[in-house]
Amino acid sequence: MKDRRWIALCAIGLVVLAIMNLPDAASRRVKGVVRDGISPLQAALRGGAREAQEIFRYVRGIGDLALENRALSEEIVYLRGEMRMARELERDNQMLRDLLGFVQRFPNKLISCEVVGRDSTGWWQTARLDKGVAAGVAEDRAVITPDGLIGRTVSVSDRTADVLLLSDPACKVSVRLARSGVFGVVAGLGHKPGEQPACRLDYVSKTADVQEGDEVVTSGQGGLFPKGLLVGRVVKVKLDDAGLYQTAWIDSAANLGELEYGFVAATDKDLAAARAAEPPPTGGEEDVEADFPEGEDDP
Amino acid sequence: MTLLVLLFWLIAGGTLQAALPAWRHMGQPAFPILLGVVLYAAVNKKIRYFVIAALLAGLVEDALSLAPLGYSACAFLAAGGLALLLRADFFADKAATTSWFGALCAATATGAMALLLQLKGLVALSIGATLWRMAGSAVLAAVVVPLLFGLMRGMERALGTWEDRA
Repeated sequence: MKDRRWIALCAIGLVVLAIMNLPDAASRRVKGVVRDGISPLQAALRGGAREAQEIFRYVRGIGDLALENRALSEEIVYLRGEMRMARELERDNQMLRDLLGFVQRFPNKLISCEVVGRDSTGWWQTARLDKGVAAGVAEDRAVITPDGLIGRTVSVSDRTADVLLLSDPACKVSVRLARSGVFGVVAGLGHKPGEQPACRLDYVSKTADVQEGDEVVTSGQGGLFPKGLLVGRVVKVKLDDAGLYQTAWIDSAANLGELEYGFVAATDKDLAAARAAEPPPTGGEEDVEADFPEGEDDP
Repeated sequence: MTLLVLLFWLIAGGTLQAALPAWRHMGQPAFPILLGVVLYAAVNKKIRYFVIAALLAGLVEDALSLAPLGYSACAFLAAGGLALLLRADFFADKAATTSWFGALCAATATGAMALLLQLKGLVALSIGATLWRMAGSAVLAAVVVPLLFGLMRGMERALGTWEDRA
Protein backbone atom coordinates (compact mmCIF):
# COMPACT_ATOMS: atom_id res chain seq x y z
CA MET A 1 0.00 0.00 0.00
CA LYS A 2 2.78 2.36 1.00
CA ASP A 3 4.71 1.43 -2.15
CA ARG A 4 1.71 2.27 -4.30
CA ARG A 5 1.47 5.68 -2.66
CA TRP A 6 5.10 6.42 -3.39
CA ILE A 7 4.72 5.28 -6.97
CA ALA A 8 1.69 7.54 -7.37
CA LEU A 9 3.54 10.48 -5.82
CA CYS A 10 6.53 9.93 -8.11
CA ALA A 11 4.22 9.71 -11.13
CA ILE A 12 2.52 13.00 -10.20
CA GLY A 13 5.90 14.64 -9.69
CA LEU A 14 7.06 13.42 -13.09
CA VAL A 15 3.93 14.73 -14.79
CA VAL A 16 4.38 18.15 -13.19
CA LEU A 17 8.06 18.22 -14.10
CA ALA A 18 7.22 17.26 -17.67
CA ILE A 19 4.65 20.06 -17.89
CA MET A 20 7.12 22.57 -16.44
CA ASN A 21 9.78 21.55 -18.92
CA LEU A 22 7.69 21.49 -22.06
CA PRO A 23 9.47 23.04 -25.03
CA ASP A 24 8.61 26.71 -25.48
CA ALA A 25 6.66 26.14 -28.69
CA ALA A 26 4.56 23.36 -27.15
CA SER A 27 3.95 25.43 -24.03
CA ARG A 28 2.75 28.40 -26.11
CA ARG A 29 0.53 26.13 -28.13
CA VAL A 30 -1.10 24.62 -25.05
CA LYS A 31 -1.56 28.06 -23.49
CA GLY A 32 -2.99 29.41 -26.74
CA VAL A 33 -5.52 26.60 -27.03
CA VAL A 34 -6.76 27.12 -23.47
CA ARG A 35 -6.86 30.91 -23.80
CA ASP A 36 -8.59 30.88 -27.17
CA GLY A 37 -11.13 28.44 -25.77
CA ILE A 38 -11.92 30.60 -22.77
CA SER A 39 -11.65 34.06 -24.38
CA PRO A 40 -15.12 34.02 -26.06
CA LEU A 41 -16.69 33.13 -22.70
CA GLN A 42 -14.60 35.82 -21.04
CA ALA A 43 -15.66 38.41 -23.63
CA ALA A 44 -19.32 37.40 -23.26
CA LEU A 45 -19.09 37.66 -19.47
CA ARG A 46 -17.49 41.08 -19.72
CA GLY A 47 -20.10 42.23 -22.22
CA GLY A 48 -22.85 41.00 -19.89
CA ALA A 49 -21.26 42.82 -16.97
CA ARG A 50 -21.16 46.06 -18.98
CA GLU A 51 -24.83 45.69 -19.93
CA ALA A 52 -25.75 45.05 -16.31
CA GLN A 53 -23.76 48.10 -15.27
CA GLU A 54 -25.61 50.26 -17.80
CA ILE A 55 -28.99 48.95 -16.62
CA PHE A 56 -27.99 49.56 -12.99
CA ARG A 57 -26.96 53.14 -13.81
CA TYR A 58 -30.21 53.69 -15.65
CA VAL A 59 -32.34 52.28 -12.81
CA ARG A 60 -30.41 54.25 -10.22
CA GLY A 61 -30.93 57.38 -12.31
CA ILE A 62 -34.67 56.78 -12.33
CA GLY A 63 -34.62 56.18 -8.58
CA ASP A 64 -32.76 59.43 -7.88
CA LEU A 65 -35.10 61.33 -10.11
CA ALA A 66 -38.10 59.91 -8.34
CA LEU A 67 -36.67 60.95 -5.00
CA GLU A 68 -35.97 64.47 -6.19
CA ASN A 69 -39.19 65.01 -8.07
CA ARG A 70 -41.94 62.78 -6.79
CA ALA A 71 -44.49 64.86 -8.60
CA LEU A 72 -43.06 64.19 -12.03
CA SER A 73 -45.08 61.86 -14.15
CA GLU A 74 -43.87 58.50 -15.39
CA GLU A 75 -43.74 59.86 -18.89
CA ILE A 76 -41.24 62.55 -17.96
CA VAL A 77 -39.05 59.98 -16.26
CA TYR A 78 -39.18 57.87 -19.37
CA LEU A 79 -38.32 60.82 -21.59
CA ARG A 80 -35.41 61.81 -19.39
CA GLY A 81 -34.16 58.27 -19.52
CA GLU A 82 -34.35 58.40 -23.27
CA MET A 83 -32.44 61.68 -23.29
CA ARG A 84 -29.78 60.24 -21.03
CA MET A 85 -29.37 57.30 -23.33
CA ALA A 86 -29.15 59.63 -26.32
CA ARG A 87 -26.43 61.62 -24.57
CA GLU A 88 -24.53 58.41 -23.83
CA LEU A 89 -24.79 57.43 -27.45
CA GLU A 90 -23.57 60.88 -28.49
CA ARG A 91 -20.60 60.58 -26.15
CA ASP A 92 -19.79 57.09 -27.48
CA ASN A 93 -20.09 58.45 -31.00
CA GLN A 94 -17.69 61.29 -30.21
CA MET A 95 -15.24 58.87 -28.58
CA LEU A 96 -15.32 56.60 -31.63
CA ARG A 97 -14.80 59.60 -33.93
CA ASP A 98 -11.81 60.66 -31.83
CA LEU A 99 -10.41 57.13 -32.02
CA LEU A 100 -10.87 57.06 -35.77
CA GLY A 101 -9.18 60.43 -36.14
CA PHE A 102 -6.31 59.21 -34.01
CA VAL A 103 -5.89 56.10 -36.11
CA GLN A 104 -5.88 58.13 -39.31
CA ARG A 105 -3.25 60.51 -37.94
CA PHE A 106 -0.94 57.77 -36.67
CA PRO A 107 1.78 56.73 -39.11
CA ASN A 108 1.84 53.03 -38.12
CA LYS A 109 -0.46 50.25 -39.12
CA LEU A 110 -2.79 49.98 -36.15
CA ILE A 111 -4.99 47.09 -35.16
CA SER A 112 -7.91 48.16 -33.02
CA CYS A 113 -8.63 45.81 -30.14
CA GLU A 114 -11.05 45.67 -27.26
CA VAL A 115 -9.79 45.03 -23.74
CA VAL A 116 -11.61 41.90 -22.59
CA GLY A 117 -9.85 41.22 -19.33
CA ARG A 118 -7.21 42.04 -16.79
CA ASP A 119 -4.55 39.92 -15.20
CA SER A 120 -6.54 37.62 -12.96
CA THR A 121 -3.61 36.36 -10.90
CA GLY A 122 -2.34 39.72 -9.67
CA TRP A 123 1.31 38.76 -10.19
CA TRP A 124 1.62 41.00 -13.24
CA GLN A 125 0.03 44.18 -14.56
CA THR A 126 -1.51 43.01 -17.80
CA ALA A 127 -4.63 43.50 -19.90
CA ARG A 128 -6.05 41.03 -22.41
CA LEU A 129 -6.98 42.14 -25.92
CA ASP A 130 -9.56 40.38 -28.07
CA LYS A 131 -7.27 39.97 -31.08
CA GLY A 132 -4.24 37.83 -31.71
CA VAL A 133 -2.05 36.36 -34.42
CA ALA A 134 -5.04 35.83 -36.71
CA ALA A 135 -5.60 39.60 -36.82
CA GLY A 136 -1.92 40.46 -37.26
CA VAL A 137 -0.94 41.00 -33.64
CA ALA A 138 2.56 39.80 -32.79
CA GLU A 139 4.64 39.73 -29.62
CA ASP A 140 6.66 42.77 -28.54
CA ARG A 141 4.54 45.35 -30.32
CA ALA A 142 3.62 48.72 -28.83
CA VAL A 143 0.03 49.10 -27.65
CA ILE A 144 -1.38 52.62 -27.56
CA THR A 145 -4.52 54.63 -27.01
CA PRO A 146 -5.29 58.16 -28.20
CA ASP A 147 -3.94 59.36 -24.82
CA GLY A 148 -0.59 57.62 -25.14
CA LEU A 149 1.38 54.42 -24.78
CA ILE A 150 -0.04 51.72 -22.51
CA GLY A 151 2.48 48.89 -22.92
CA ARG A 152 3.61 46.10 -25.19
CA THR A 153 2.24 42.72 -26.24
CA VAL A 154 3.89 39.82 -24.45
CA SER A 155 1.88 36.68 -24.97
CA VAL A 156 -0.12 36.24 -28.14
CA SER A 157 -2.39 33.38 -29.13
CA ASP A 158 -4.53 33.04 -32.24
CA ARG A 159 -7.35 35.19 -30.92
CA THR A 160 -6.01 36.98 -27.85
CA ALA A 161 -3.00 39.03 -26.81
CA ASP A 162 -1.78 40.00 -23.36
CA VAL A 163 -0.40 43.50 -22.92
CA LEU A 164 2.26 44.10 -20.30
CA LEU A 165 1.24 47.50 -18.99
CA LEU A 166 3.59 50.41 -18.36
CA SER A 167 2.95 50.02 -14.65
CA ASP A 168 4.52 46.53 -14.54
CA PRO A 169 8.12 46.49 -13.30
CA ALA A 170 9.05 44.18 -16.19
CA CYS A 171 7.89 46.75 -18.78
CA LYS A 172 10.86 48.95 -19.64
CA VAL A 173 10.61 51.71 -22.22
CA SER A 174 13.38 53.80 -23.70
CA VAL A 175 12.21 57.41 -23.41
CA ARG A 176 13.19 61.00 -24.00
CA LEU A 177 12.02 64.15 -22.26
CA ALA A 178 10.31 66.24 -24.94
CA ARG A 179 11.50 69.61 -23.57
CA SER A 180 15.14 68.95 -22.70
CA GLY A 181 15.87 65.89 -24.85
CA VAL A 182 17.21 63.89 -21.88
CA PHE A 183 17.21 60.13 -22.54
CA GLY A 184 16.49 57.32 -20.08
CA VAL A 185 14.59 54.11 -19.44
CA VAL A 186 11.32 54.04 -17.50
CA ALA A 187 10.10 50.99 -15.62
CA GLY A 188 6.74 50.33 -13.99
CA LEU A 189 6.27 50.63 -10.26
CA GLY A 190 3.89 47.67 -9.95
CA HIS A 191 1.10 49.78 -8.46
CA LYS A 192 -2.57 48.94 -8.66
CA PRO A 193 -4.17 49.47 -12.10
CA GLY A 194 -4.79 53.17 -12.62
CA GLU A 195 -2.82 54.25 -9.56
CA GLN A 196 -0.39 57.09 -10.28
CA PRO A 197 2.53 57.50 -10.67
CA ALA A 198 2.69 54.45 -12.90
CA CYS A 199 6.40 54.36 -13.64
CA ARG A 200 9.78 55.79 -12.81
CA LEU A 201 12.79 57.10 -14.70
CA ASP A 202 15.94 56.02 -12.84
CA TYR A 203 19.59 56.99 -13.06
CA VAL A 204 19.18 60.34 -14.78
CA SER A 205 22.40 62.37 -14.56
CA LYS A 206 22.28 64.92 -11.75
CA THR A 207 23.09 67.68 -14.24
CA ALA A 208 20.26 66.75 -16.62
CA ASP A 209 17.41 69.22 -16.94
CA VAL A 210 14.34 67.41 -15.57
CA GLN A 211 11.35 69.33 -14.27
CA GLU A 212 7.90 68.49 -12.99
CA GLY A 213 5.38 68.61 -15.82
CA ASP A 214 7.89 67.57 -18.47
CA GLU A 215 6.36 65.41 -21.18
CA VAL A 216 7.94 61.97 -21.55
CA VAL A 217 7.87 60.40 -25.01
CA THR A 218 9.30 57.21 -26.47
CA SER A 219 12.80 57.67 -27.88
CA GLY A 220 12.52 55.04 -30.60
CA GLN A 221 15.80 53.52 -29.41
CA GLY A 222 15.80 49.76 -28.96
CA GLY A 223 13.39 49.40 -31.85
CA LEU A 224 10.47 48.14 -29.80
CA PHE A 225 8.39 51.29 -29.52
CA PRO A 226 7.88 53.80 -32.34
CA LYS A 227 9.49 57.17 -31.73
CA GLY A 228 7.51 60.06 -30.23
CA LEU A 229 4.66 58.25 -28.45
CA LEU A 230 3.52 60.08 -25.34
CA VAL A 231 4.25 58.02 -22.24
CA GLY A 232 3.27 60.49 -19.53
CA ARG A 233 4.37 63.49 -17.50
CA VAL A 234 6.94 63.93 -14.77
CA VAL A 235 5.22 64.50 -11.44
CA LYS A 236 8.16 64.36 -9.04
CA VAL A 237 11.94 64.63 -9.32
CA LYS A 238 14.37 63.66 -6.57
CA LEU A 239 18.15 63.48 -6.27
CA ASP A 240 19.30 60.14 -4.81
CA ASP A 241 20.91 60.00 -1.36
CA ALA A 242 24.43 59.84 -2.77
CA GLY A 243 23.71 62.89 -4.93
CA LEU A 244 24.81 61.15 -8.12
CA TYR A 245 21.57 60.57 -10.00
CA GLN A 246 18.08 61.96 -10.29
CA THR A 247 14.94 59.89 -10.24
CA ALA A 248 11.73 61.08 -11.88
CA TRP A 249 8.27 59.66 -11.15
CA ILE A 250 5.91 59.63 -14.12
CA ASP A 251 2.13 59.67 -14.36
CA SER A 252 1.08 57.68 -17.41
CA ALA A 253 -0.82 59.70 -20.01
CA ALA A 254 -3.32 56.88 -20.58
CA ASN A 255 -5.52 55.80 -17.69
CA LEU A 256 -4.28 52.25 -17.19
CA GLY A 257 -7.09 51.49 -14.77
CA GLU A 258 -9.92 52.11 -17.20
CA LEU A 259 -8.79 50.70 -20.52
CA GLU A 260 -11.53 49.77 -22.95
CA TYR A 261 -9.73 49.91 -26.28
CA GLY A 262 -6.16 49.67 -27.44
CA PHE A 263 -4.32 49.81 -30.74
CA VAL A 264 -1.49 47.46 -31.53
CA ALA A 265 1.22 48.98 -33.75
CA ALA A 266 1.73 46.20 -36.28
CA THR A 267 4.31 45.79 -38.99
CA ASP A 268 3.75 44.77 -42.60
CA LYS A 269 5.25 41.39 -41.77
CA ASP A 270 2.70 40.77 -38.99
CA LEU A 271 -0.19 41.58 -41.26
CA ALA A 272 1.23 39.57 -44.12
CA ALA A 273 1.65 36.59 -41.79
CA ALA A 274 -1.95 36.95 -40.65
CA ARG A 275 -3.19 37.20 -44.23
CA ALA A 276 -1.18 34.16 -45.22
CA ALA A 277 -2.61 32.14 -42.34
CA GLU A 278 -6.23 32.99 -43.00
CA PRO A 279 -8.33 34.23 -45.91
CA PRO A 280 -9.10 37.98 -45.59
CA PRO A 281 -12.30 38.88 -43.72
CA THR A 282 -15.30 39.54 -45.91
CA GLY A 283 -16.70 42.45 -43.93
CA GLY A 284 -17.79 43.57 -40.47
CA GLU A 285 -15.07 44.93 -38.23
CA GLU A 286 -12.08 46.21 -40.13
CA ASP A 287 -8.72 47.26 -38.90
CA VAL A 288 -7.55 50.66 -40.02
CA GLU A 289 -4.23 50.60 -41.73
CA ALA A 290 -1.84 53.34 -42.76
CA ASP A 291 1.60 53.44 -44.28
CA PHE A 292 4.43 52.30 -42.08
CA PRO A 293 8.07 51.86 -43.08
CA GLU A 294 8.94 48.18 -43.39
CA GLY A 295 10.83 46.63 -40.49
CA GLU A 296 11.44 49.85 -38.54
CA ASP A 297 9.93 48.52 -35.37
CA ASP A 298 11.10 44.96 -35.56
CA PRO A 299 12.67 44.15 -32.22
CA MET B 1 -18.29 13.96 -8.88
CA THR B 2 -17.90 12.79 -12.42
CA LEU B 3 -15.06 13.99 -14.59
CA LEU B 4 -17.58 15.93 -16.66
CA VAL B 5 -18.79 17.91 -13.64
CA LEU B 6 -15.19 18.57 -12.69
CA LEU B 7 -14.46 19.86 -16.20
CA PHE B 8 -17.54 22.07 -16.06
CA TRP B 9 -16.35 23.67 -12.82
CA LEU B 10 -12.83 24.11 -14.14
CA ILE B 11 -14.07 25.88 -17.28
CA ALA B 12 -16.63 27.96 -15.37
CA GLY B 13 -14.09 28.73 -12.66
CA GLY B 14 -11.40 29.60 -15.18
CA THR B 15 -13.75 31.89 -17.11
CA LEU B 16 -14.94 33.64 -13.97
CA GLN B 17 -11.44 33.98 -12.63
CA ALA B 18 -10.24 35.41 -15.95
CA ALA B 19 -13.11 37.90 -15.98
CA LEU B 20 -12.54 39.03 -12.40
CA PRO B 21 -9.54 41.32 -12.04
CA ALA B 22 -7.22 40.77 -9.11
CA TRP B 23 -8.38 42.33 -5.83
CA ARG B 24 -6.95 45.84 -5.55
CA HIS B 25 -6.01 45.51 -1.89
CA MET B 26 -3.61 43.49 0.26
CA GLY B 27 -1.03 42.79 -2.45
CA GLN B 28 -3.53 42.32 -5.30
CA PRO B 29 -4.30 38.62 -4.83
CA ALA B 30 -6.47 36.73 -7.33
CA PHE B 31 -9.95 35.47 -6.52
CA PRO B 32 -9.23 31.82 -5.62
CA ILE B 33 -11.98 30.20 -7.66
CA LEU B 34 -9.88 27.53 -9.35
CA LEU B 35 -8.16 26.84 -6.05
CA GLY B 36 -11.61 26.40 -4.49
CA VAL B 37 -12.47 23.75 -7.09
CA VAL B 38 -9.21 21.92 -6.33
CA LEU B 39 -9.84 22.08 -2.57
CA TYR B 40 -13.36 20.78 -3.05
CA ALA B 41 -12.00 17.78 -4.92
CA ALA B 42 -9.28 17.28 -2.28
CA VAL B 43 -11.72 17.34 0.61
CA ASN B 44 -14.72 15.55 -0.81
CA LYS B 45 -13.45 13.25 -3.54
CA LYS B 46 -11.02 10.48 -4.27
CA ILE B 47 -7.37 11.43 -4.49
CA ARG B 48 -7.20 10.80 -8.22
CA TYR B 49 -9.91 13.41 -8.79
CA PHE B 50 -7.96 15.88 -6.70
CA VAL B 51 -4.78 15.26 -8.72
CA ILE B 52 -6.63 15.67 -12.03
CA ALA B 53 -8.30 18.83 -10.72
CA ALA B 54 -4.99 20.29 -9.52
CA LEU B 55 -3.22 19.59 -12.83
CA LEU B 56 -6.06 20.90 -15.02
CA ALA B 57 -6.77 23.94 -12.82
CA GLY B 58 -3.06 24.74 -12.87
CA LEU B 59 -3.04 24.46 -16.64
CA VAL B 60 -5.99 26.84 -16.97
CA GLU B 61 -4.58 29.35 -14.48
CA ASP B 62 -1.15 29.41 -16.11
CA ALA B 63 -2.66 29.67 -19.58
CA LEU B 64 -4.56 32.76 -18.48
CA SER B 65 -1.51 34.47 -17.04
CA LEU B 66 2.15 35.00 -17.88
CA ALA B 67 3.25 32.17 -15.57
CA PRO B 68 5.09 29.24 -17.18
CA LEU B 69 3.03 26.08 -17.47
CA GLY B 70 3.06 23.83 -14.42
CA TYR B 71 3.72 26.48 -11.77
CA SER B 72 0.14 26.86 -10.61
CA ALA B 73 -0.28 23.07 -10.68
CA CYS B 74 2.59 22.85 -8.18
CA ALA B 75 0.99 25.49 -5.97
CA PHE B 76 -2.41 23.76 -6.16
CA LEU B 77 -0.86 20.39 -5.35
CA ALA B 78 0.85 21.94 -2.32
CA ALA B 79 -2.39 23.50 -1.08
CA GLY B 80 -4.35 20.35 -1.89
CA GLY B 81 -1.75 18.24 -0.08
CA LEU B 82 -2.37 20.33 3.01
CA ALA B 83 -6.09 19.84 2.48
CA LEU B 84 -5.60 16.07 2.31
CA LEU B 85 -3.70 16.15 5.59
CA LEU B 86 -6.42 18.16 7.29
CA ARG B 87 -9.34 16.45 5.64
CA ALA B 88 -10.01 14.03 8.52
CA ASP B 89 -10.33 16.88 11.04
CA PHE B 90 -12.30 19.20 8.83
CA PHE B 91 -16.05 19.69 8.81
CA ALA B 92 -16.85 20.33 5.19
CA ASP B 93 -20.45 21.25 5.93
CA LYS B 94 -19.67 24.07 8.36
CA ALA B 95 -19.13 27.43 6.70
CA ALA B 96 -16.83 28.67 9.47
CA THR B 97 -14.39 25.76 9.24
CA THR B 98 -14.53 25.85 5.45
CA SER B 99 -13.64 29.50 5.65
CA TRP B 100 -10.59 28.93 7.87
CA PHE B 101 -9.58 25.94 5.85
CA GLY B 102 -9.84 27.87 2.56
CA ALA B 103 -7.81 30.73 4.00
CA LEU B 104 -5.02 28.43 5.16
CA CYS B 105 -4.81 26.60 1.84
CA ALA B 106 -4.96 29.81 -0.22
CA ALA B 107 -2.11 31.31 1.78
CA THR B 108 -0.13 28.09 1.17
CA ALA B 109 -0.83 28.18 -2.57
CA THR B 110 0.13 31.86 -2.81
CA GLY B 111 3.31 31.26 -0.84
CA ALA B 112 4.26 28.31 -3.06
CA MET B 113 3.55 30.31 -6.21
CA ALA B 114 5.54 33.30 -4.95
CA LEU B 115 8.47 31.02 -4.17
CA LEU B 116 8.42 29.43 -7.63
CA LEU B 117 8.11 32.77 -9.44
CA GLN B 118 10.87 34.31 -7.35
CA LEU B 119 13.17 31.34 -8.00
CA LYS B 120 12.58 31.74 -11.73
CA GLY B 121 13.13 35.51 -11.45
CA LEU B 122 9.73 36.33 -12.91
CA VAL B 123 8.61 38.60 -10.09
CA ALA B 124 10.53 40.55 -7.50
CA LEU B 125 8.69 40.63 -4.19
CA SER B 126 10.03 41.35 -0.74
CA ILE B 127 9.24 38.93 2.08
CA GLY B 128 6.89 41.52 3.55
CA ALA B 129 5.04 41.93 0.25
CA THR B 130 4.77 38.16 -0.13
CA LEU B 131 3.36 37.73 3.38
CA TRP B 132 0.94 40.61 2.78
CA ARG B 133 -0.23 38.97 -0.42
CA MET B 134 -0.60 35.61 1.33
CA ALA B 135 -2.76 37.33 3.94
CA GLY B 136 -4.79 38.96 1.15
CA SER B 137 -5.42 35.67 -0.61
CA ALA B 138 -6.38 34.12 2.76
CA VAL B 139 -8.98 36.85 3.30
CA LEU B 140 -10.41 36.36 -0.19
CA ALA B 141 -10.46 32.58 0.16
CA ALA B 142 -12.20 32.84 3.53
CA VAL B 143 -15.12 34.43 1.68
CA VAL B 144 -14.98 32.69 -1.70
CA VAL B 145 -14.28 29.06 -0.72
CA PRO B 146 -17.37 28.48 1.50
CA LEU B 147 -19.59 30.02 -1.20
CA LEU B 148 -18.02 27.85 -3.87
CA PHE B 149 -18.25 24.72 -1.74
CA GLY B 150 -21.95 25.45 -1.19
CA LEU B 151 -22.55 25.92 -4.90
CA MET B 152 -20.64 22.80 -5.89
CA ARG B 153 -22.32 20.70 -3.25
CA GLY B 154 -25.72 22.03 -4.31
CA MET B 155 -25.03 21.16 -7.92
CA GLU B 156 -23.86 17.67 -7.02
CA ARG B 157 -26.98 17.07 -4.93
CA ALA B 158 -29.13 18.28 -7.81
CA LEU B 159 -27.32 15.97 -10.23
CA GLY B 160 -27.36 13.08 -7.78
CA THR B 161 -23.59 12.66 -7.76
CA TRP B 162 -23.10 13.77 -4.14
CA GLU B 163 -21.67 11.13 -1.81
CA ASP B 164 -20.44 11.70 1.72
CA ARG B 165 -16.66 11.79 1.90
CA ALA B 166 -15.26 9.46 -0.73
